[in-house]
Amino acid sequence: MTAKTFTVICAATLAAFLAGCGSSVMLDPPTIPTPLINKIPASVGLRIPAEFESFVHSEEVIGRKHWKIDLGRSNAALFTQLFAYMFEKVTVLDADDDASLLSLDALIEPSIDAFEFSVPNQTKTEAFAVWIRYRLKVYNADGTVVANWPVSAYGKSQSGGGTDALRRAAVLAMRDAAALIIMKLDDETGISARISSVAAASVAVQTPQPATTDEE
Amino acid sequence: MNPEATSRLIQASKASIMATLILTMTGCVTSRIEDAREGMTGISEGESIVILAKSYHLGNETEDKYIACLEKRLARGSNGLHVISSKVFVDSLFPWFEPRTAPTDTKGLAKLMDHPGVAEKIAEQGVRYVIWLDGDTERVAGGGSLSCAAGPGGGGCFGFAWWQNDADYDANVWDLKELESAGTVTADVSGTSFLPALIIPIPLIARTQAAACKGLSRQLRAFIIDDPSI
Repeated sequence: MTAKTFTVICAATLAAFLAGCGSSVMLDPPTIPTPLINKIPASVGLRIPAEFESFVHSEEVIGRKHWKIDLGRSNAALFTQLFAYMFEKVTVLDADDDASLLSLDALIEPSIDAFEFSVPNQTKTEAFAVWIRYRLKVYNADGTVVANWPVSAYGKSQSGGGTDALRRAAVLAMRDAAALIIMKLDDETGISARISSVAAASVAVQTPQPATTDEE
Repeated sequence: MNPEATSRLIQASKASIMATLILTMTGCVTSRIEDAREGMTGISEGESIVILAKSYHLGNETEDKYIACLEKRLARGSNGLHVISSKVFVDSLFPWFEPRTAPTDTKGLAKLMDHPGVAEKIAEQGVRYVIWLDGDTERVAGGGSLSCAAGPGGGGCFGFAWWQNDADYDANVWDLKELESAGTVTADVSGTSFLPALIIPIPLIARTQAAACKGLSRQLRAFIIDDPSI
């Protein structure tokens, strides 16, 4: 056996050993089905922070195995798709875009407050579970924060094994968040109600005042 | 080793292998399958069923492979039902049948049908019954010990291990035409597996979950078609 062959064998053995000490999960951007809902008649802006575009969670579980979960662009892709289904018009803003120059009814800024997961070793079950807590900040046309809504989502999967099950649990958690946002966003943030009141006030301003008579 | 002893050893090995092959088909399984009917059932040509697991948000842990087993068994045979895949159904009705949003009882069905597009999608797929599964298979007892060793001259195992699995499943059948519960079918199966080893381990596996799938699917078919002869 030559020195080079010996080195290659040692390197391969070391790589196999290290692979057993940690796992890395990379998520592809998930897709959600077209929801059966009526769109909210509003034009909203969506500003996605840089850390939301490339969220990575690393954790060592019970001091035994290191897990790294790279959500990548999956959160950004999910929210872009979700809001396109929910609102009549969605404009995705860059960090330096001035929202006040666009005729938006509201600006929404999502972020991740917390990300946790559990593996079968911890729960003594065969399931992987993921919890994600998003936060949606809603600004009105003049930049005032009108809602700050935490969205807690949960996904659980037994299918596949190891990284596949954890990946599926994360995707299910995102889909859970999407379902909750569809059901509750308007109630929690009052976007429709605010648009209706602004429209009503605008009509009241435009309605001409009745003319006064000479007798008065 | 003399030729006679070698011949006896070969024959003993063949007998062990045959015994292993035969005995792996058996196991100690006890089953109880029951149904409780609340309304009339029956299914027409063109109508379908869908099998869903109750939400994990409520703590349910029904296995995906058990649902797949039930779907397969209910769809096959001369009395096979038309089964819509749970994934296809849930996706087509997003977000109304997600683990968080699915109705938890039949009182919510009327309101569900009022949501835009829901009734149309259900009619398009011809779904007549939704079967909600609750329960799982778990190991409830076990014991014994088994040790195996291998060396240059050969290897083998010695010892005895056993374990008991319980498979408890409830299937609640909802009639989407009448917007009410048609009844419940339950399967309660217990199986004990043994693993004696004398050089070669001889597994006597009780296929508890498979027995629960078989029993529940047979009873569900009879319940939905409303033909006790099936």
